[in-house]
Amino acid sequence: MPTLTIDGREITVEPGTTVIRAAEMLGIHIPRYCWHPGLSIAGNCRICQVEVVKPKLRFPCTVSCNLVASDGMEILTDSEAARKARADVMEFLLLNHPLDCPICDQAGECLLQEYSYAVGRDKSRFDEEKVHKSKRVRFSEEIVYDGERCILCTRCVRFMKEVAGEEQLAVVERGDHAEIAVAYGRELTSPYSMNIVDLCPVGALTSADFRFKSRVWFLTNVPSTCTSCARGCSITVGARWEKIQRLTPRENPDVNRWWMCDHGRLNWKYVHAPDRLGKALVKDAGRLAPADTDEAVRRAHQLVNRFVTKRGADGLFGLVSARLTNEEIFLAREYLAGVAGVKNLDVRPRTGEGDDFLITADKNPNSLGASLIGIAPEEGAVGLEGFAEAVKAGRIRGAVFFGEDVDHDPEALAALDSLEFLVVMDYHLTETARKADVVLPGVTWAEKEGTITNVDGWVSRLNRAIRPPGEARPDLSLLGGLLAAARPEEEGLDRPEAVFEALGKAVPAFAGIRYADLYSRSGRVAVKAAAAAD
Amino acid sequence: MAYKTVERPVLTTAEKLYLPAVMKGLGLTLKYFLKRKKFTRQYPEEPTVVPEGYRGLPSLVKDDEGRVKCVACSMCEWVCPPEAIRVIPGELPGDDPVEKGPKEFELDTLRCIFCGLCEEACPEEAIFLSETFEYCGRSREEMIFGKEKLLEIGGVRAEGVKKWKKEADAGFSRKGPRR
Ligand code: SF4
Ligand code: SF4
Ligand code: SF4
Ligand code: SF4
Repeated sequence: MPTLTIDGREITVEPGTTVIRAAEMLGIHIPRYCWHPGLSIAGNCRICQVEVVKPKLRFPCTVSCNLVASDGMEILTDSEAARKARADVMEFLLLNHPLDCPICDQAGECLLQEYSYAVGRDKSRFDEEKVHKSKRVRFSEEIVYDGERCILCTRCVRFMKEVAGEEQLAVVERGDHAEIAVAYGRELTSPYSMNIVDLCPVGALTSADFRFKSRVWFLTNVPSTCTSCARGCSITVGARWEKIQRLTPRENPDVNRWWMCDHGRLNWKYVHAPDRLGKALVKDAGRLAPADTDEAVRRAHQLVNRFVTKRGADGLFGLVSARLTNEEIFLAREYLAGVAGVKNLDVRPRTGEGDDFLITADKNPNSLGASLIGIAPEEGAVGLEGFAEAVKAGRIRGAVFFGEDVDHDPEALAALDSLEFLVVMDYHLTETARKADVVLPGVTWAEKEGTITNVDGWVSRLNRAIRPPGEARPDLSLLGGLLAAARPEEEGLDRPEAVFEALGKAVPAFAGIRYADLYSRSGRVAVKAAAAAD
Repeated sequence: MAYKTVERPVLTTAEKLYLPAVMKGLGLTLKYFLKRKKFTRQYPEEPTVVPEGYRGLPSLVKDDEGRVKCVACSMCEWVCPPEAIRVIPGELPGDDPVEKGPKEFELDTLRCIFCGLCEEACPEEAIFLSETFEYCGRSREEMIFGKEKLLEIGGVRAEGVKKWKKEADAGFSRKGPRR
């Protein structure tokens, strides 16, 4: 195994490792445009120049992305010569650059700006007319291309070919006429296409959705997890003015590497939908009327309690959403099965199309969590499938829906009318919630904290990125309120960390994971939970 | 403690009468009264002329072809110490070469401290501290000035940066027709 020295620090690497990767391992950042750890080596941007002290080369500098480390090699990444070489590359790259920074969405996270600031010159020596290319080209509904800003690094082209597996982009024309374009006769339709917007090191590819919404430095970036399918990709939520502005993937080698799908990226509009619940609702003389949240929680518990005392728990049905966090599902189980003794527990499955990359067929983000914690009908008990039937037969007479609705099933929806009582906790007013006696105002994933367990058992954190509307409260605190009403003598349980700890004690699969370890801005955020459950 | 004994001045008879001093004072008053050099300005009938470099209300300007110069880059919003500016960017319609402009531009005149940093930060020479210092409103909301009002105050500035004016407009482009 070759041992080389980078900036005076020694490192031994696997044979075949490139110098830029060896430097990464040492935590030394070598500038790059075309190189990306998730893509093949192109070696076309030439910015990753380093000085090779040993072995002696004809020229002191060369690119480090395709320089294979050899034994005894000595590299300087920030020497006079390396900086000079990089400065020259920068000057070439910027020759025809339009300097659109004031109107360019990339500004603030643009590698051209960053390296220009580090090694570039402050004035252009180029006084010819710049080459003009196509601007504001729609590659697809979601992606806008600017030819003048493009540095032809081909990251986007390689991503489509190597990662998305669909060659939909290509370099067209030659020399200084060269541009990126949708390949002849094709369309940019890959469900992963928007990753090229993040990949593009400059502002050549921008997202139509985020376009001009906000300069990136105004965003509050909160690490979180995508809840649009059971993959649970690590994401960063960029928010401003208490509104989500964009979602971007966050590197996580165990779950999504650097990528996420377009659907997940754009699926946040409902968080700001006008039908969000900002207040608890309690049925009063046949109509839902706004109520105090604590009052509504007490009322909900009263309904459950009265019903169970009178008729027993067998007539009660509990639907717990697999979109809730592990902690919420745990408290929901504690309340329904633990306190009320309900056996008719189920989740509402959601399935769609999946693929063999990231998108899973299961569209519930926390199905595994729900099943590990034990939300499933017991032997002989009523599940969601037999719910409408059981209501008709008079077997089920009351129901509690946590974070869930049955709007998809007209029969179940109709059956709700003949229930003695219905308690619903949700973040918006569904058709189901309209039929409830008490509606508790919960929140969406963006407004709460907790963990979810993905399809492979990786547990990742949700973090609160924005404030919930009105008096809506994190579902965990509502469930904690119900539990507190049921067990007034016990210490309250509604902090995510404390609940997660309790969960670890109660469900062996979650034992050994520390909640605090899960919050992370980079690197490994997930801890294997399912291994113990297998 | 060290001290010094001061002789009490001995006043003359004329001085003791005070009258000459009174006369002298009245004389001075009379002199100014007759010279009549006015310091009081009849504001608002008589407009105040502000000195050069006066930092009045920040305003947006248009160029000589009637284009709003601001491209909604938000540099002014970023730099403004009391956070008086709020820019809501938007996409310009059609194939306008600038692509981006302010959909709304709000200046909270109650917050502005007239520091001039916005003018300094603007890469497009689109915002200037005007000579306007007279403005009022009946509510806080009225004191937040919108884009149209700021453009009205700013007027036209022909000189300076023109983002949208590429050299290509001069009829010269190296790029030939696409083959
Ligand atoms: S790509 Fe970078 S350097 Fe070029 S205009 Fe955009 S922000 Fe500026
Ligand atoms: S569009 Fe961006 S990623 Fe693609 S080649 Fe140009 S600079 Fe590189
Ligand atoms: S003058 Fe200063 S305080 Fe007023 S808007 Fe400009 S930057 Fe803000
Ligand atoms: S006034 Fe100038 S600095 Fe402010 S947004 Fe407009 S262009 Fe940018």
